[in-house]
Amino acid sequence: MVISPVHYIVAPLLAAFAIALLSKIYKNAARIVPGIVLFYNIVISLVLMPQVLEKGMISEVIAGWEAPWGINLVLTPFSGFLTTAVSVIGFAIWLYGYKFKVRLQGGEVKYYEILQMMMIAGSLGVIITGDLFNMFVFIEIVGITAYSLTAFYRGRDGAEASFKYLLIGSLASIFLLMGILIIYTQTGSLNMAQIAERMPMVPQTMKVTALIFFLIALGIEAEMFPMNGWAPDAYSQAPSPTSAVFAAVVSVAGVYALIRVTFTVFDVEGVHQYLIVMGFVTMLVAEISAVAQVNLKRMLAYSSLGQMGLVLIAFGIGSHLAVFGAIFLMLNHAVIKALLFMSGSYFIYNSDDKRLIGLNGIHKRLPFVSAIFSIAAFAIIGFPPFSGFWSKFYILIAAGDENMIFLIIGILMVTIIELVYYLRTVARIYFYKDEVEHTEHKPSINAIVAMSFLTLFIIVIGIYPNLITGYLHQAADSLLDKASYIQHILK
Amino acid sequence: MEGIGFEILGALLTTILAFVVGMFFGGLNRKITARTQNRVGPPVYQNFIDLMKLQAKRTNIAHGFMGHVAPIWIIIAATTVLMFIPILHDGLWFRNLTFRGDLIFLLYMMVFGSLGMALGAGQSGNPNSAIGVSRGLSQMVGFEIPFVLALVSLMIQFQTTSIQDLMAYQHETGQWIIFANPFAFLATILSYLGMFRYSPFDIVGAPAELASGPISEFGGKYLGTVMTGGSIFTFVKLVLMVDIFFGGAGNFGTGFWGVVAGLVELVVKTFIVYLIPVFIGLVSPRFRTEQAIRFFWKWPTVFGVIAVLWAVFL
Amino acid sequence: MNTLTIILLILTIGAAFTYFINAVNHKLTAISAFVTITIATGYFFGLAELGDQFKFALGDFSMQWGLNAFSYYFIYIVLGLSWLALLYSIAYMEGKARLGYYYGAFLLTIAGMFGVVISQDFISLFIFWEIMTWASFLLVIYNYYYNIKTEGMKYMIFSAIGAYAMLTAIVFIHHYYGTFLIGEALSKGAFSFNQHIFIPIFLLLGFGIKAAVMPFHVWAPGAYAKTPMSFTAVFSGALSKMGIFGIALVFSTYYITHNAGGFIASQILAWMGGITAVMGTIYALIQTDAKRLLAYSSVAQLGYIVVGLSTGTKLGIMAALYLAVLHAAFKGALFMVAGAVEKQAGTTDMTKISGLIKRMPWTFLVALISIITLAGVPPLGGFVGKWLIYEALITESNNYFLAIVIFFSSTAAFLYSYRFLFGLFLGQEEEETKDVKEAPVTMLIPMLMLSFVSIITGVMPGLVFNPAAKAMNALGFADTNWDMTSLSNIWGNTTDLSLIGIFIIIVFILGFAVLTLKGRKKTKSVGTKDISSSGELWKEGENWTFQQDFFKPFQRAAAPLYKFDMDKIWSDMGNALEAFFGFFRKVYTGNGQTYAIYVIAFLAILLIFKDYIFN
Repeated sequence: MVISPVHYIVAPLLAAFAIALLSKIYKNAARIVPGIVLFYNIVISLVLMPQVLEKGMISEVIAGWEAPWGINLVLTPFSGFLTTAVSVIGFAIWLYGYKFKVRLQGGEVKYYEILQMMMIAGSLGVIITGDLFNMFVFIEIVGITAYSLTAFYRGRDGAEASFKYLLIGSLASIFLLMGILIIYTQTGSLNMAQIAERMPMVPQTMKVTALIFFLIALGIEAEMFPMNGWAPDAYSQAPSPTSAVFAAVVSVAGVYALIRVTFTVFDVEGVHQYLIVMGFVTMLVAEISAVAQVNLKRMLAYSSLGQMGLVLIAFGIGSHLAVFGAIFLMLNHAVIKALLFMSGSYFIYNSDDKRLIGLNGIHKRLPFVSAIFSIAAFAIIGFPPFSGFWSKFYILIAAGDENMIFLIIGILMVTIIELVYYLRTVARIYFYKDEVEHTEHKPSINAIVAMSFLTLFIIVIGIYPNLITGYLHQAADSLLDKASYIQHILK
Repeated sequence: MEGIGFEILGALLTTILAFVVGMFFGGLNRKITARTQNRVGPPVYQNFIDLMKLQAKRTNIAHGFMGHVAPIWIIIAATTVLMFIPILHDGLWFRNLTFRGDLIFLLYMMVFGSLGMALGAGQSGNPNSAIGVSRGLSQMVGFEIPFVLALVSLMIQFQTTSIQDLMAYQHETGQWIIFANPFAFLATILSYLGMFRYSPFDIVGAPAELASGPISEFGGKYLGTVMTGGSIFTFVKLVLMVDIFFGGAGNFGTGFWGVVAGLVELVVKTFIVYLIPVFIGLVSPRFRTEQAIRFFWKWPTVFGVIAVLWAVFL
Repeated sequence: MNTLTIILLILTIGAAFTYFINAVNHKLTAISAFVTITIATGYFFGLAELGDQFKFALGDFSMQWGLNAFSYYFIYIVLGLSWLALLYSIAYMEGKARLGYYYGAFLLTIAGMFGVVISQDFISLFIFWEIMTWASFLLVIYNYYYNIKTEGMKYMIFSAIGAYAMLTAIVFIHHYYGTFLIGEALSKGAFSFNQHIFIPIFLLLGFGIKAAVMPFHVWAPGAYAKTPMSFTAVFSGALSKMGIFGIALVFSTYYITHNAGGFIASQILAWMGGITAVMGTIYALIQTDAKRLLAYSSVAQLGYIVVGLSTGTKLGIMAALYLAVLHAAFKGALFMVAGAVEKQAGTTDMTKISGLIKRMPWTFLVALISIITLAGVPPLGGFVGKWLIYEALITESNNYFLAIVIFFSSTAAFLYSYRFLFGLFLGQEEEETKDVKEAPVTMLIPMLMLSFVSIITGVMPGLVFNPAAKAMNALGFADTNWDMTSLSNIWGNTTDLSLIGIFIIIVFILGFAVLTLKGRKKTKSVGTKDISSSGELWKEGENWTFQQDFFKPFQRAAAPLYKFDMDKIWSDMGNALEAFFGFFRKVYTGNGQTYAIYVIAFLAILLIFKDYIFN
């Protein structure tokens, strides 16, 4: 069997169905199968990535219909890098959630894992697809599974969060369809490469209108302000492994879609400024709101929004170094945020008070998890010698090269705000008196392994980023190189 | 060897001179005060008698190690400063260590004694002493400011920090510095009022209120030593003033009679300067500490600032 | 492998090892930390040489670590003081909780400081600066008080503001001058105040906040007072000097070129330093807690050093460098004294304890020597520093009024100096402190060693002058000759310290002999309760020591000065921001329909203005 990019999507999808069947026979199938599949995904990455880096990109057509009439899957260094990252982090999250006891007010584990698998399949699809409508389909898949997972605990809060997500997500779908519609009527194609080729011939107003629809729709997915109102609720109400997946996988896919469309498909001026401005507004509003939060998961959710804002700013700056930094930040954010949600949820699990007060002095009961949370917090603020520092640093240098002093000052001021609420939390964990009622739930070995692995990544890359800078440079190059993308696919 | 012996002899002579003159001045102060108050007053050599009485006391109470050592600090401070101030201008006799230290060193050395005194007073355990020290130190912040302003203005004006040079200037040009920078003199003399701790700045040891302040618990030989140190210090301060503003002494050549004449000149000049705080003290009531501090930060400081500006622009 | 790298590795691995070994055996933690620092210090002073360099590439950037005379001078402070402080910690921290955390963070801070000083490129500088900051933050929040969070957060926020200002400057140095290497940037004029003036100003902001320059000093009193005293010795003694290190570096171009822009900046900084000195001093003398007193005093002393640096003259910079070492010595010793008192007597609140001199004589001796040095009284080392500053201001840089301001601060420093000694050691003894014992030997040894430094530099300041002069050479000053035992200024006046020292010792010995021997049989030694109290007898357990409102008259006299409360200004700003944030977050109303409206409204706006946004 030749390993090809389509396996990325097919494997999790098959797994979803397999779980449904196998769990009738073997109870624990629901827990094991996702692990196998995600591990297989990692294997695929390890096999395909060297080929991608060598050849420049791999384009695979589905069902024999050649592009541009058929759907093709494109694995560029950029998308390949993201899929590798998603697979690895997804595996870590699965490992973490292996013994996750779904509370009995929710459903059974198998439904959970099925939905999770389909969400990952959809996200991977968004990342590697080369066709606009295909992208829409995958976004829908992600959406539906995400709505269900948000409401998985059948309680009032989950339902409310899910409803908000559904509402906004539907708007995203509508606008996305409208955008695709306009593009199709103007260019006569749905294939991204072909559209990019024909884009210069489209009249300006049509182009810009379509772009606006895409920006809104994909902005909703990429959690851009003011379309990200759904995110805090969704992240905080979903079960913890799902929150981690939201942060690490879904948002990555959303941002990827937005960037691919704006950078590769469209050629409109002014998009970069738009990204910078809206990215900064997103970051500012999100971090300010995070300071005022009293609930840990909501705080982390707002922090996610802020980081996504920074990623958008970096993409907006647009130079090679900036894109490099942006991709690095996406990777770091995925790892660190997943880690924060993983450790954070153990805190919540262990105290009856879900607010931040419940974290008082919790390090005595959970020393290991506290240390990991603190390291992750330091990393996301950008303290050396953790990996978060490097990504921020690259972005700042790129901004400096473009002489954007106020942007730099703005980003750093927002970082100080970030610092305040994270360090507040760390102080709470370590130095406040433990007053809240608690039930003891120590982390199990699989969670510890998963979290340690991610922490190790943070520390190692922090001290020696050269390990991945090579890949990142190639990923950045591939994104910025529109011509070869088109050429490679339409040859 | 002869050089060292000569130096040590000179140092001893200076100390004895300072001691004698200082004690006499103290006695003169008491006599003058008495006479203005229409009393007979003690004899002029009363201070010596007091010293002998103190040394002859049957018991000397020692309040701990710091209390024991404190009087020595005062002696150290007084004598060290004495060594560094030129007694006579043409320093062959009484040369001591005049070339080896400058005004900034003197400023700080003068505080050395107070610090020791304060520590000794503190250890005694008497709250009056502590209050006295607190007042004394606070007042010191007051009067040091105009003093430093004056000294700095002189340093700027004559581009030197050595007293020797100031005296040389006065000797060469024949003009006393009190005329070259009168505001410096005004600032200095006003701050001297604080340094001497006569009225109106005697709240530090306010006898009727504070049981002598810092020296409350010193008795016997300790008090004697303190008195000795205080007298030397009085002389030192006066000589400093004379050297800086009134041309110093020793303008009569280096022969034996020249030296004697120089010493006489010195004593006369210092006595005249000494009369200023004495007379002001006779007629003044007592300032409270904050009033004293505020006083020093007003007009004396203004004079000091004018002195500095005078030095910079004139 | 390179010596410098090895030392860093020793320190970081030592930190991790110490952290984990605490889980195994509590007693080993302190030993492990001390052994680590001993190895590191020994290795450095044994093997490291001037001119050592280490270049490597990290993630597209080329980094460079190196040792020049300027760095070497500061490493004396960093490693020397840290070694003594860790020795002190062994006994001080005994029995406390979370020792692994404490020692781990301590060693990391030392590693950070060492890294800062050896960095020759800006990225390394920033990385180590941040590591130093967050490691020390961990120690600031070590003590378990509820609102310690405020002090810690204040420290972190101010440090972060400074650090990020530095980062902005670094990014722009790269943009304008194309390099990250400090030496290269210097030679291209990155620090000259004539072009892109915000670069040196931001750098000064970053370094100045660490050096507690007004008005950014508000984190210092709380942070210094609330941290464990063994760390505060290093915190105040060495960490603040990192700021000094940086300021000197930034001004080094100005020192050579003396251009106009730099002159203005240096004057402003000098006056800020002077005001810091005054305000720190007057707040110090009203404190009743010995630790806070020392904290404010540290801020004031740093003001002196900043003034010295800003004068830009030979004597001024020498004063600053000399005072940097000396301040580390005497302030480190004083914080150790406060820690010893705290450990033995339970508190450092001067209204609660007094009269410890008989119980802790050695501690008192250290305190006495350090206080005399702080006050700047001859013949100890502090005088040399003061002398240098005054001479610099008066003779070399014509900054007369600043000299007066410094002198005012210095005189007022006598007040709190005395207060510290009196408040803790003199006066009558408290009933509760009856059984207080002297501090353990491992705490006394570092204190005595630091006092020894204070003493020896009083007579032979040349011991410090020579390395400092080499450091100044590295900064670009011409070779100057410094006497071992005497001081001289540009007008030719000299002060011979050895003579002074000898004279004082002779008089002391003579006087002591005379006073003790004469009338020996007639001397009666009494305790502190035996005082002349005018007929009032003290009751059992009463303590008549005067502790409350010790300097009330001065407070009243200087009342206008006290009205200027910088802390309140910052607190108010912080509270206002927080309220604003609380209000602002309501953008996320929680109502799904509102969010939908946001989306559609935004779409409408984009469609309407699309021609302006996307052309």
